[in-house]
Amino acid sequence: MASPLLHQPTQFFFSNTQLKGPSHGFLWRPPCSSFGASHSENKARPIRASVDAPTFPLFQTPKQHDSASELEPADPDFYKIGYVRSMRAYGVEFKEGPDGFGVYASKDVEPLRRARVIMEIPLELMLTISKKLPWMFFPDIIPIGHPIFDIINSTDPETDWDLRLACLLLYAFDCEDNFWQLYGDFLPSADECTSLLLASEDELSELQDPDLASTMRNQQYRAQEFWEMNWHNSAPLKIKRLARDPRRFLWAVGIAQSRCINMQTRIGALTQDANMLIPYADMLNHSFEPNCFLHWRFKDRMLEVLINAGEQIKRGDEMTINYMSGQKNEILMQRYGFSSPVNPWDVIKFSGNAKIHLDSFLSVFNISGLPEEYYHNKCLAIDGDTFVDGAVVAAARTLPTWSDKDVPPIPSAERMAVKELQQECRQMLAQYATTSKQDEKLLDSLPNAPRTLEAAIKYRLHRKLFIEKVIQALEIYQDKILF
Amino acid sequence: MASNSIHSNLLPKSAFNHFQTSSYLVGSFPAGILQVRVGFSNSRRVPSYSCIKCEKKDDHNIEHVSVERPPYYSYMDSTSGQLEPASGARASVPEQEYWPEGTASQVRAARAPLPGGESSSSPSYGSQPGSRRKNYKTAAASSSSIHVESSDPAPSDEASLVESTEDAQDSTSEFVVYQSEPEEEEEAGYDLDKKIGNPHPFIDPRVKKKIEGTLPEEELWWNWKKPEKEQWSRWQRRKPDADTVFLKAMAETGQVKLYGEHPTLTETSLYRARRHLYKEERLQAEEDRLEEIGPMAYYSEWVKAWKGDTSREAIQKHFEETGEDETAQLIEMFSHQTDREYRVMMGTDVRIKRDPLAMRMKEEQIKQIWGGDPVYPTVNYIQDPNEVIDYRGPDFHEPTPNMLAYLMEHGHIITREELNTILAKEKPEQHVVTDVDEAMAKAVDIGENDDEEDSDVEDEEEREEEEEEEKITRNWSVLKSTPELRQSKPKPKKDGPMSLDEAIDDSENLTDFLMDFGEEE
Repeated sequence: MASPLLHQPTQFFFSNTQLKGPSHGFLWRPPCSSFGASHSENKARPIRASVDAPTFPLFQTPKQHDSASELEPADPDFYKIGYVRSMRAYGVEFKEGPDGFGVYASKDVEPLRRARVIMEIPLELMLTISKKLPWMFFPDIIPIGHPIFDIINSTDPETDWDLRLACLLLYAFDCEDNFWQLYGDFLPSADECTSLLLASEDELSELQDPDLASTMRNQQYRAQEFWEMNWHNSAPLKIKRLARDPRRFLWAVGIAQSRCINMQTRIGALTQDANMLIPYADMLNHSFEPNCFLHWRFKDRMLEVLINAGEQIKRGDEMTINYMSGQKNEILMQRYGFSSPVNPWDVIKFSGNAKIHLDSFLSVFNISGLPEEYYHNKCLAIDGDTFVDGAVVAAARTLPTWSDKDVPPIPSAERMAVKELQQECRQMLAQYATTSKQDEKLLDSLPNAPRTLEAAIKYRLHRKLFIEKVIQALEIYQDKILF
Repeated sequence: MASNSIHSNLLPKSAFNHFQTSSYLVGSFPAGILQVRVGFSNSRRVPSYSCIKCEKKDDHNIEHVSVERPPYYSYMDSTSGQLEPASGARASVPEQEYWPEGTASQVRAARAPLPGGESSSSPSYGSQPGSRRKNYKTAAASSSSIHVESSDPAPSDEASLVESTEDAQDSTSEFVVYQSEPEEEEEAGYDLDKKIGNPHPFIDPRVKKKIEGTLPEEELWWNWKKPEKEQWSRWQRRKPDADTVFLKAMAETGQVKLYGEHPTLTETSLYRARRHLYKEERLQAEEDRLEEIGPMAYYSEWVKAWKGDTSREAIQKHFEETGEDETAQLIEMFSHQTDREYRVMMGTDVRIKRDPLAMRMKEEQIKQIWGGDPVYPTVNYIQDPNEVIDYRGPDFHEPTPNMLAYLMEHGHIITREELNTILAKEKPEQHVVTDVDEAMAKAVDIGENDDEEDSDVEDEEEREEEEEEEKITRNWSVLKSTPELRQSKPKPKKDGPMSLDEAIDDSENLTDFLMDFGEEE
């Protein structure tokens, strides 16, 4: 499928419309090409950005050839340990790329009228903890005799769900014959984990976002405190050996935060909200246009991963779900440790009164749908127009707009508004310490950077890219205003 | 008792014969374990070499019974013409649409293929999370293009359970070269079907031999020829309706034209209606005629002898003349009628067929409508009054008198005379013996030796029971039941040595003595 190009920094980019692999929002642009031209070579028909949750499968490089050529099938034991415990994967396989695990289709699937199951994971493999007290019900994993039981009990389930899960995870690692002992080998280690909990101070500062940085610092502090409180020197050995150092605990919290799946599970007659760590389903990456979703089958207590009905899947397509809908990059970064330049829910805070006409903006870019569900309408669009992606959709949402039934926009007023907004964006960009190009260069020059640093740099890069895209979109809008 | 040394070359060949399962054992042993002979107890023989003890296996004690499934699980039922299960225990498994909830997912889970491939890493059991991930950070930096293999991991590795018994590492030449492991060939075709339980014929078609002396299919008298119309049973033929058969007969005689071979219901009802109407019409016409020409003229048709004028005027005139009214004149007319004419007029004579078509119908068709003869429905039932009935008496099990002739003809029994002649031919030998030991024979007469008693008989010319016993043992129950034969006197034996002719006669039945096992001493 992929042309076996060498991994060279200069030749990343393809205007490949026949991209069958995951489309990647993040574009490596050759440093030499111009700003505008590179945008026009923007590949990938769909807006969706398959951005990985880094702590699961790490973020994958957008290079098509990279993603295709560097994907290797995962260790066969990975599926075997699940298969033996009656977990099944139908028609998908697990592959590893440079940025982590991913789930890929192993055969073509025609669009069906029913959702098709691709994975089913039994309850016994999961680590679950209910969100509400009392923490006494099946299927929660309750380590009754273990001192960690008290620790978990002492937490507040509303706010400390990640700590509880982290404790459970560490406990599971210590339990003999526990599935997580085997599965833990496939989780990203502390070095590979991109969760910002493990980020150092300067990495946090690399974010160039003080809010996020402070949030992360608080989180780190909280976790650290928790560890110190419970893993003090006189803690019993059973506790101590779960997390010998705070880094391990932080890692566990990071894993718990990024891989936790909140589901309403029905067991028998009882329905409860639970935080679950689900083994194979957490290897699914995130996408803003997912092709899979999760479903709990209460009959035999399995979690099913189903392909959306009507999805056309080709062999090698990545299976993605939507982790969190409707959140901006900040939240994604904080919770999952990744970000995306094409997040359709990203937000830019504009001050000032400039507003553009919403309807004409939408029609210029052929975005249709309700405000909650803007999407790029390809039927209206000219084929080959690949400019519109999630960022433009986000722009449509976050740009200050006005819409007054059928009052037409005044072109001159529109253009003025556009100019104002562009000015504001540029100001925002200028406030950053580095430009996007510099960021890219930085990323390229650090092939062995720690993951957290990479993630941080990427975060700010995505932010800048987003703003740049907004500027560009405004430009195009300005050109296309009908007189 | 037995040492573990193996002396292959020294084992005599006979040792192999003692163990019929030897070859079987040889093939089934896994690699590395040298197959040794089963060692009998020491008392068996005293070998110069030590007995070799086999490893503990009781394969030869186990009787391997294979339970085959029946060769079919369903067959075409002859009465219903539909598939039926052989055992009748259950119906076939329904389709997926009819499965209960959850079955489909269970089946899918069970059918999912086992993952293959071997892992190069080993689990760390929670101590090193992430240890089995491929660390790409170093690999990516090396800027080498890694080929993607998007296919599934390698097929499952086959665990080689049985290695060939090549004994490559055996340095000593003492080891027997056993037969190499019989390669397990995949069963296919008939054997596979048998093993799995698919429907299969009873005998392997490859091995099956045609039974010799069989007739071809067509010539077999019990040959069941399939009906041409492919019906399963005769009950599926068309069921004749009276009207339909009638119409068919009509069509055959050409009175009516049908559109096909068999009349359809429409046609049948049409013609039935038509016939009814014609009949009514005819009856009406007759009545009209009666009205028109008057009863005298009408009924004079059946009275040939009445020659008078039958018109209304003549009747009127006659009435005026004689005072007899119409009725009296009718009576007079009818008195001239013969009874045959009467019967024809009334239509009650069954010997006169009323419907010409019924005469022309085939017997089969008549039978279809009106049924056959209730008493003698088929030809087989008709009995010949002069037939000699085969009355079996109380001695039914005895053969008929003719049997004797038959048996004699075939040489199964011989007459007493012949028997005597045969015995007489045997006499010369006995003569010799008695001549020598005459005194002994005369002195002791216990009756042990039949031969000596024969000689006594011959001398004394008495009736001997031994002869009869001999005869009886030679012949069968005929003699038991026919007391006349028992009473017959023994015929005088022939003296002297056998003549040439007798010798020739004797030589015809040279094998007779072979049959008489009891006769020989």
